[in-house]
Amino acid sequence: MLRTTLRSVRAVGTKPIAAPTGRQWQPSASAAARRYYAENKKASIQDANPPKLPASETNTSPAVDAPALKTEAKVTASTIDAKAVPLTPPAPKEATLSSTGTITRHAPPAGAPVPVKKKGFFRRLRNYVLTLMILGAVTFGGGVWYSRVNDNFHDFFTEYIPYGEQAVLYFEEKELRKRFPRAMTTSSRTQDTGAQVKIAPQSGASWRVADSGESGGRSKSAVRDGNSNTPATKQAKPKSEATAKKATVVAKSEEPPKAAAIPSAATSADMTKKAKGDKPVFKAPEVDEPSRFPPAGPIDPLNVKDADEPVVQDLVKMLNDIITVVNADNANDRFSATIGKAKNELNKVGSKIRDLKAKVEKDAASQVSAKVNEFEVAANELVTRVEGAMASQERTWREEFETEMRRIKEVYDSRIKNEMEREKLVNEQKLNNLLLEQAIELKRQFMKDIKNTVEAERNGRLGKLDQLSSAVKELEMLTTGWNDVVDMNLKTQQLHVAVEAVRASLSDTEHPRPFVRELVALREISSDDTVINAAISSINPSAYQRGISTPSNLIDRFRRVASEVRKASLLPEDAGVASHASSWVLSKIMFKKEGLAAGDDVESILTRTQTYLEEGDLDKAAREMNGLQGWAKTLSRDWLGEVRKVLEVQQALEVISTEARLQSLKVE
Amino acid sequence: MSDTSVPAPPRAVVSRPVSEALLNEKWDRCLSNMLIKSTLGLGFGVVFSVLIFRRRAWPAFVGVGFGAGRAYEECNWSLKQASRDLKRQA
Repeated sequence: MLRTTLRSVRAVGTKPIAAPTGRQWQPSASAAARRYYAENKKASIQDANPPKLPASETNTSPAVDAPALKTEAKVTASTIDAKAVPLTPPAPKEATLSSTGTITRHAPPAGAPVPVKKKGFFRRLRNYVLTLMILGAVTFGGGVWYSRVNDNFHDFFTEYIPYGEQAVLYFEEKELRKRFPRAMTTSSRTQDTGAQVKIAPQSGASWRVADSGESGGRSKSAVRDGNSNTPATKQAKPKSEATAKKATVVAKSEEPPKAAAIPSAATSADMTKKAKGDKPVFKAPEVDEPSRFPPAGPIDPLNVKDADEPVVQDLVKMLNDIITVVNADNANDRFSATIGKAKNELNKVGSKIRDLKAKVEKDAASQVSAKVNEFEVAANELVTRVEGAMASQERTWREEFETEMRRIKEVYDSRIKNEMEREKLVNEQKLNNLLLEQAIELKRQFMKDIKNTVEAERNGRLGKLDQLSSAVKELEMLTTGWNDVVDMNLKTQQLHVAVEAVRASLSDTEHPRPFVRELVALREISSDDTVINAAISSINPSAYQRGISTPSNLIDRFRRVASEVRKASLLPEDAGVASHASSWVLSKIMFKKEGLAAGDDVESILTRTQTYLEEGDLDKAAREMNGLQGWAKTLSRDWLGEVRKVLEVQQALEVISTEARLQSLKVE
Repeated sequence: MSDTSVPAPPRAVVSRPVSEALLNEKWDRCLSNMLIKSTLGLGFGVVFSVLIFRRRAWPAFVGVGFGAGRAYEECNWSLKQASRDLKRQA
């Protein structure tokens, strides 16, 4: 809370208070502190206090004290330097205005006093301007230098940079003057006049002098602008010294009257000349045209007569140009004599050239004729040689051809022979093959015939054999059938025997004995008879293992069982000791029945059973005993089981015996 | 008699009594049981009569009665049980 209030207070607070606090609180690096720095700067600019130096040290600290002393000298030096380079561009302007270089030097001092007045801001502005100017000057200078090195850049520079063209021109001229201090002045003037009056003759000259090897790249560009000074002079010199001298004479004669008025330097002189060049062009047609054309007119036809040669024509043209110039300058009177001389000289030169030409033509004709003769001779020789060579070659070729033909013939003959031999061989082989095939065919036919005959014979005999075999088979069948019958008879006999054996074993009256062996034999004999099997399986196993009790045994046992049953015959249901005792006692007293007694009581059942047993009817006896109830049935249970076994065995034996009888009947 | 009886007894002894001898067997058991129990009762009664009752006769009779009664009851129970079994079988 306290800090925030402090901050707000500081923010509101006056500058002197805020500045020290800001300095103290600097490490905290708060937003307020930064703001104070901004304020401080403002204060520094205005007051230039020592403590503010570190903040603005990078920009101005080294220059604050020292430059203050040097400012004027430095400024002047820098301004002079800067102006020295870019002086060329402004110079023409001022020259046109005042036609003096002094004014250009006065201009920079006007900029110098500005930084002197105010030290901080204005000094910086001044520095900025200075650097800008220096930079501009340097770039301009570099551009000028590079434009002299590179043609493309030269075009660009002169076209788009203001005053660039002038500067480049100036330097080129200077260099030229260095190289050719004499020619410079004259050439420049001749070019000026030439450029103003006519361009065609100059171009003609250039076409003619193309052999001298001067490139037209820069000259063209210069010509385009219309100020081609140096290239034009270069072309002009080789052309002819005489014409140049004449031009110089003319130029010198021109200079004194009109250039005398101008006291300016060489640089300004160019510009002035241009201006003057323009003036006479305008004046000439107005005033002096009719008077100056006649002198030009009569000279031309003279030249035309001798102007078959291009050189002479050029010379004539040049002379015409000079005449026009002289006419333009109104100096006809002075130069008429010299021009007349020149005309004569020209005529002479033309005649000389004509003579030279004729001579040269004659020489050339003679040389050509000689050469033609030589060539003809050489050609004849060549033809003869070639013909000889051809003949020899033809001969050799013919020989070769003949030999080759012979060789080929031989080769073909040999081949044909081979072919014939082969054909013969092939034919023989084919014939042989045919013969062999025929022989094979015959053999096959023979074999077939033999086979057929043999087959026929065989079939006759084999048919009989088959009949025999079939008869034998029938006999066999018959025998087998009889065998079966015999077997069946045997089986049935055995069956009967077995059955009889079983029955014999059962009929042993003395004591029961097992008849397992007999039964097994029976089963073996009648293994495939289902009826017998079923009958045997119906017998209780205990019956044939222990044997069955005989009828006498059964009767004996029945007597005992009957006495016991009688004892318990009067027992009621759920009887105790007393009832048993009473029944036993009472049973002694009871009357006995005889024969087939009627009634369902125990006594009558027992008497009936006994009678049946005595009659030998086991089945009925068993049925009677089965009708007993309660203790009586329980007591007679074992006896009943015995009887049942015996009955079962008897039944099974009967079934088997009947089956055996059936079998024996079947066989018969 | 010997031929017929010879094969039967071993069977009866080994497996089970012949059906007609079922009741006789039970009667044999009952009688032997009665004899033993009545003799036991007689013995106890004699001892008691000698030791306690100055050689009186009735304690001996009472003992015999107890033994015989006990045997009778057991026989009665066995017979009834047998008849119940028969019913169940039927």
